[in-house]
Amino acid sequence: MADEKNAPTKADDAAASVPSDLEGHVDAQGRYPLLSVQHLSKEFPVDSGVFASKMSKRVSAVDDISFDIFPGETFGLVGESGCGKSTTGRCIMRLTNPTGGKVFFNGENVADMKKKDLKSMRHDMQFIFQDPYASLNPRMTIGEIISEPLIIHGEMTDKKERLDFVRELLDEVGLNPEHINRYPHEFSGGQRQRVGIARAFALRPKLIICDEPVSALDVSIQAQVLNLLSGLQEQYGTAYLFIAHDLSVVQHISNRVAVMYLGNLMELSDWKTLYAQPYHPYTQSLLSAVPVPDPDVQRSRKRIILAGDPPSPIDPPTGCRFHTRCPIAKEICSKERPELKEVAPGHFCACHFAAPFPIKESSINL
Amino acid sequence: MDLKNQPVPEGSHLLEVDDLKMYFHTQDGVVKAVDGVSYNLDRGETLGVVGESGSGKSVTAMTIMGLIDMPPGKIEGGDVRYRGLSLFEMTEKQMQDIRGNDIAMVFQDPMTSLNPVYTIGRQLGEGLRLHRGYSKEQATKRAIELLDMVGIPNPEQRVKDYPHQFSGGMRQRVMIAMALACDPDILIADEPTTALDVTIQAQIIELMQEMQEKNGNAIIMITHDLGVVADVADKIMVMYAGRPVEFGTADEIFYNPVHPYTWGLVRSIPEALVDEKKPLTPIKGNPPSLVNVPKGCSFSPRCPYATDRCRNERPDTYTTETGHYSRCHYSMDPEFVAKNAPTNSRRRAEENGAADAVAGKGGEA
Ligand SMILES: Nc1ncnc2c1ncn2[C@@H]1O[C@H](COP(=O)(O)OP(=O)(O)OP(=O)(O)O)[C@@H](O)[C@H]1O
Ligand SMILES: Nc1ncnc2c1ncn2[C@@H]1O[C@H](COP(=O)(O)OP(=O)(O)OP(=O)(O)O)[C@@H](O)[C@H]1O
Ligand code: SF4
Ligand SMILES: [Mg+2]
Ligand SMILES: [Mg+2]
Repeated sequence: MADEKNAPTKADDAAASVPSDLEGHVDAQGRYPLLSVQHLSKEFPVDSGVFASKMSKRVSAVDDISFDIFPGETFGLVGESGCGKSTTGRCIMRLTNPTGGKVFFNGENVADMKKKDLKSMRHDMQFIFQDPYASLNPRMTIGEIISEPLIIHGEMTDKKERLDFVRELLDEVGLNPEHINRYPHEFSGGQRQRVGIARAFALRPKLIICDEPVSALDVSIQAQVLNLLSGLQEQYGTAYLFIAHDLSVVQHISNRVAVMYLGNLMELSDWKTLYAQPYHPYTQSLLSAVPVPDPDVQRSRKRIILAGDPPSPIDPPTGCRFHTRCPIAKEICSKERPELKEVAPGHFCACHFAAPFPIKESSINL
Repeated sequence: MDLKNQPVPEGSHLLEVDDLKMYFHTQDGVVKAVDGVSYNLDRGETLGVVGESGSGKSVTAMTIMGLIDMPPGKIEGGDVRYRGLSLFEMTEKQMQDIRGNDIAMVFQDPMTSLNPVYTIGRQLGEGLRLHRGYSKEQATKRAIELLDMVGIPNPEQRVKDYPHQFSGGMRQRVMIAMALACDPDILIADEPTTALDVTIQAQIIELMQEMQEKNGNAIIMITHDLGVVADVADKIMVMYAGRPVEFGTADEIFYNPVHPYTWGLVRSIPEALVDEKKPLTPIKGNPPSLVNVPKGCSFSPRCPYATDRCRNERPDTYTTETGHYSRCHYSMDPEFVAKNAPTNSRRRAEENGAADAVAGKGGEA
């Protein structure tokens, strides 16, 4: 949506030195990605205690995933609990160090950044968290909370100017500017999430990583916050990495969507195609499991009910990580990891049997 | 005494909740958590209870189960009758018999409702030993059967496990097994799938439906997810600020809702998009405090159609012959409803049918 309004970051104005790692990563308008995640992996040692050794088991939280985010777009990342969505976000912000792969932000490798570069990166890359209760310091007024990034980055050193700006921000996110001296506990969940949004927008960042920003909210409030995020994006051309487990929310907010399962990217496409013509059996199962608020539809639709739980990321399944639950898995699936292949322009899928609706009734074995 | 084997008296329902009021007396004032809830439920039926966070869904269920601490809670009026008998007139001993045996509950967070220091098997068998006088061996045997019934692989081994050794979805299945252990008449499930992923949610819902088909029990399904309700409910109660604002069959609530809060709820759900993006339609403002419930209609501060009358006068309950009821001054005004209600798949199909008929294509398929 914001793509057209945004001045394209063409090769020439994005600084002369486009690293070779971004070659070939341009979008339809010839722009380089604002964020490029390449073969990112993150493992955690399971046992960090006294007996931890090289032999200890490891949690493979994120395993070789790649995607690009272009200026002004919303990139949705969906998947079930524990599939590695937050870990991906944390690696991008370098709140945790990846164990493999590279992340480029504004053309620079985040892993190589020294303290000073990291600080300037975090100026342009902000985040919004899921829990509007835990993520705001209860001892700070909302004015102080929203000013904090400005103070850290030495912007608006004049206090009056700063507070005026904070009031403007409060107004922008739909909060009463007169409430600048109130504390978080005086606000409802939806209002607190607005405070978090105001704070994230204070520095006018280029990218905001939104980790489940509406998951804790009631639907009627969720819609308010989603509309606010869309409105601000349209106004400022900010790109979002939007992490969520709710497929319909992701569809509404995203330009492109990637589906994760157990640390792997299974499918990636524009929002329309992903929902209308998913190629991956996991995406299809996921979409078919979401209950539709319409009894007629619900009674008549065919659903794929996946058996069992997602396996543990400690010792994940070999080959395709989905094969233990996949209704159409064959021998090859447990042996070879399927590559994320382009199955149609801009549509990627990691499945040996990638095809529109490969799951047929006859293939479901419940 | 097994109440569930006694006949339901003529003219009564399995469960009758009648103008139930539960208030909490706190330092900040009186919290009117449940303020006039009424509904009937019969065997084999599923009631869906929806509404915003804090609207009194859980407190209603806990009051029926006799699980609210009094004080601070106090029943300010109304009655709950099970097979014609008032639960409020029962002794604590009688209530203990009813809980788990006749009316069982599955809670939202399985980790807090399973005891971490006892094995799954022991916790599953507890009710049977208490209500049925099973021996330890009998209880364990039945626990294994129950685990198997709810689809836990390797039940002989897993009965010996502790809750932390189970995944979230498995724990919730254990909770359902536990609730179903004594074949209850009524299963109350409070957000049984909210903490779970959709693929696991689908499993749990299917499991509850299968069990209901087999046992013929009634289900009260509390959720904030209208999709889940569309999937399972025969009747739906929509709650707002401690009161049901609308009650009806699933078809009435989804295809002919008459209360503006129900409309707002339906409109806020992100609908599946096909061709183009559409902005979402939230309900403006925030839910009210239950200490200072707005005068008049409690939804009036957020209702786009509110008039002075709404802000001053509390709406009556308007009921149709089918039992569909609503608490809005204008819900009996067909023009108001036709003009403001959101459209739905049935209405769209009708309109398309009509348009096709006009175009000479001959209406419905
Ligand atoms: N610091 C850590 N140490 C060990 N394991 C971790 C750590 N952080 C995350 N994990 C594991 O990595 C996996 C991915 O976790 P992550 O939080 O990224 O998932 P998620 O997709 O965000 O899930 P959710 O939807 O529940 O937030 C999980 O199995 C988790 O237990
Ligand atoms: N012991 C208590 N003392 C005072 N107030 C209480 C107590 N228990 C519940 N309440 C209040 O009663 C109201 C109704 O709570 P209830 O738990 O029934 O909401 P709910 O509809 O189940 O919400 P959710 O969807 O968040 O579970 C809330 O405002 C809650 O704060
Ligand atoms: S690769 Fe095999 S196991 Fe994996 S999703 Fe495709 S069919 Fe299923
Ligand atoms: Mg997470
Ligand atoms: Mg509740």
